Amino acid sequence: MGVITDEARGWAEKEFPRFIFTVTARDIAQFAHATEATDQVHFDAEAARAAGFHDVVAPALFPYVIRMQASNLVDRTRLEPDGSPSADVPPIPTRRAMAGETSVELGDPIVAGDVITVEKRVLDLYEKEGRSGPLVFVQMEFTFHNQHGRLVARELFTRIYR
Amino acid sequence: MSRPELPLEGTEVPIVVRTPTAVDLFMFSAAAWLLHRIHYDLPFTTEHEGHPGLLIHGPLQGVYLTQSVERWLGSGVRLRSVNYRNLAPAHLGDALECGGTVTASDLSTSTIELDLWVRKIDGTVTTSGKSVFASTEGGR
Repeated sequence: MGVITDEARGWAEKEFPRFIFTVTARDIAQFAHATEATDQVHFDAEAARAAGFHDVVAPALFPYVIRMQASNLVDRTRLEPDGSPSADVPPIPTRRAMAGETSVELGDPIVAGDVITVEKRVLDLYEKEGRSGPLVFVQMEFTFHNQHGRLVARELFTRIYR
Repeated sequence: MSRPELPLEGTEVPIVVRTPTAVDLFMFSAAAWLLHRIHYDLPFTTEHEGHPGLLIHGPLQGVYLTQSVERWLGSGVRLRSVNYRNLAPAHLGDALECGGTVTASDLSTSTIELDLWVRKIDGTVTTSGKSVFASTEGGR
């Protein structure tokens, strides 16, 4: 029994490359439009300055955009048939992925011009027996720091494979 | 500095109904460069993955969860943390009610804690979680 092999445990210890993302006003506007965030601080630098930021400020959950680019902005040969990035898929026989739990702690706001460094690792890999077979849980940790070395976010994200 | 005005424990978050369209799903995938086909490729999603329709992203529902508070309290608060689980799938065409309750209101730290949920019209909760917002009185 058990689908988590030594190979999968070895995969969980691998290092993911550090990812650096320069935030533009366009990135912020795209995410704000996509989520129907209407506050002008996301679009208008003057409105953002009036609110105390030095440029347009990202919606609170914008770090998701950065971590997705860190995973998905790869050569097409490094994507699975379902579009998922191969590097995030553990070597296990169960391949259908679902979103599980997400925890986000926020630090300093992200504003246009910030250079965000993302560090990513597998925090936990475990399995449970589900009704229709084994479920494998992969918990990833992402930490986001800005160019001043300040923490802007830390996110834990669990993906479930069945 | 004026005293922050925060809702009291037990106050309900006004329910907001979100009905994302194909355009919303596309924009969310595009903004994040999210390539997972279950959000845009209907034949793949139904025939290969066995879902009844295109899936509304779990993280988009996470955004809806916290926006229900932002839309209610405006720029007077800022999200500090959120923890949520995607419990059941939501599909393109589903109307999603977003709401919740203030579970703690602490004037000494100018923070509120909330239980938040996103549910379908039939009552199925698709996403639920807890969050902490801080007052932005005195600068955000």
